[in-house]
Amino acid sequence: MLKWILVLWPSFLVAAVAEAVFFVVVDPQQLYLFGEPVRYSPIATYSIGFFGFWLACAASSLLTLFLQPVGTRPPAHR
Amino acid sequence: MTEKGEVRPVSLYSARKKLHVRSVSGRFARWRWALVWLTQILYYGLPWLTWNDRQAVLFHLTERKFYLFGAIFWPQDVFYLAVLLILSAYALFFFTAIAGRLWCGYACPQTVYTEIFMWIEEKIEGDHNRRRKLDKTPMDGRKFALRAAKFGAWGLFSLWTGFTFVAYFSPLDELLASLTTFGFGPWETFWILFYAAFTYAFAGILREQVCEYMCPYARFQGVMFDQDTLVITYDEARGDPRGARRKGVVPASVGKGDCTDCGICVQVCPTGIDIRNGLQYECIGCAACIDACDQVMDRMEYPRGLIRYSTENALRQHWGRKEILRHVVRPRTLIYGAFLVLITFAMIAGLAMRTDLRVDIIRDRATLAREVSDGQIENVYRLQIMNMVERERTVEIRVDGLDGATLQEGEPIVLPAAATGAATVQVRVPADAAEPGSHPLYFEVSVREDPGVTVREQTTFMLPR
Repeated sequence: MLKWILVLWPSFLVAAVAEAVFFVVVDPQQLYLFGEPVRYSPIATYSIGFFGFWLACAASSLLTLFLQPVGTRPPAHR
Repeated sequence: MTEKGEVRPVSLYSARKKLHVRSVSGRFARWRWALVWLTQILYYGLPWLTWNDRQAVLFHLTERKFYLFGAIFWPQDVFYLAVLLILSAYALFFFTAIAGRLWCGYACPQTVYTEIFMWIEEKIEGDHNRRRKLDKTPMDGRKFALRAAKFGAWGLFSLWTGFTFVAYFSPLDELLASLTTFGFGPWETFWILFYAAFTYAFAGILREQVCEYMCPYARFQGVMFDQDTLVITYDEARGDPRGARRKGVVPASVGKGDCTDCGICVQVCPTGIDIRNGLQYECIGCAACIDACDQVMDRMEYPRGLIRYSTENALRQHWGRKEILRHVVRPRTLIYGAFLVLITFAMIAGLAMRTDLRVDIIRDRATLAREVSDGQIENVYRLQIMNMVERERTVEIRVDGLDGATLQEGEPIVLPAAATGAATVQVRVPADAAEPGSHPLYFEVSVREDPGVTVREQTTFMLPR
């Protein structure tokens, strides 16, 4: 459980920041998906964007946890 | 017994014990409740306000506009958002340096919602003793009914919170229309449930664990502390040795300090710590223990303040209130304060000087320059003009910077309220007006209805060889 919180929670926070910064700068209506303009509704694009960021950040957190030297791992790794 | 030399991993994490927090009343609890009301009236109320026949506060995701009462902010205004964030950070530093975790104890949504959820819990399941007893009893009809009522009330409250959250991003009137039929869009539904689930989990279940394990601020707030920071402190010199005694007994006569060891300060603590062990990182500075202890001191007819807001220096040097207050002004708070004032003024000045018209000039990419009749050279530009106020306005365009520069089609452009208009304009210059090459050219866009509003933007004019 702790392991999942350690992976999902920091990535959630960073994804929220990344989402805000990215979509303030980039208009979702101007994005292209596989060469086609994005046709989802804006709220769908924003939502998918958020989960994309969350997923990427979570992958990074997971890798950090995985690469951590054994001695410094949180006890949930038993 | 472990054998010699054998290493066994020791868990530093203890299993969490569910806390049954005793409710507290008093002056700091009143402050907290005042902030609960203030922040939540704002949070739940703001989406319902209208302004200029639209929602007063709305981060309109579809239109990519942020309506804030009379003002509209566009993605181009992200600068103000950045300044606002810096401002909030300095405010946090400033208040933390003065009086510790004021934010955590009184205004943080985690504290505010936990307070509301605990209030609901107490109304349904009774006080902390009844709740503890209820936890231990096996499931029966009564327990089931109480639990269902509590979870149901929490759930409804969370859903309302989630609905309000979405109403900040998607217009409330559209959401309300969907509410009657539950015909929300799939993503609206998802975010209402998502936010509701977070509210429920954080305020109903996780509570103090959010502060202890999940909050980044809780981890670094200590660096803003110094020996003159007001923190919630147990006066050990006055309180120890602790022990029970009858009301009105002079502590010295029984060889004890003022602390009656009643343990109420621990029972009211939302993080379950004993403040008498000194400042701990779990302490969110809610001052519940101060309220609780003051009531006990009143009952014992001892002076209040055995647990109080005090500083490390004050405790060591036995300072009074006056000296503590004098030490609030010190380099750290002055620096934080100076930044706070400076950034606030910069923000206000920036907002006051913000023009409500924005012009972007894009040179036509297809042709740099072309020769037209009577030996004139023409360049084509595309002007994007953003009308940032909520009324229709007419703009006039002029050019200068090059001798003889004229604008074709001088027709005024009508911009709808709070919208961007585009115009393609041709500028002609006599071929012998200047050397071949690129020259600065200025567009001046002015609003017919507001003579003061003029935007001057630079671009380039190409004269071919």
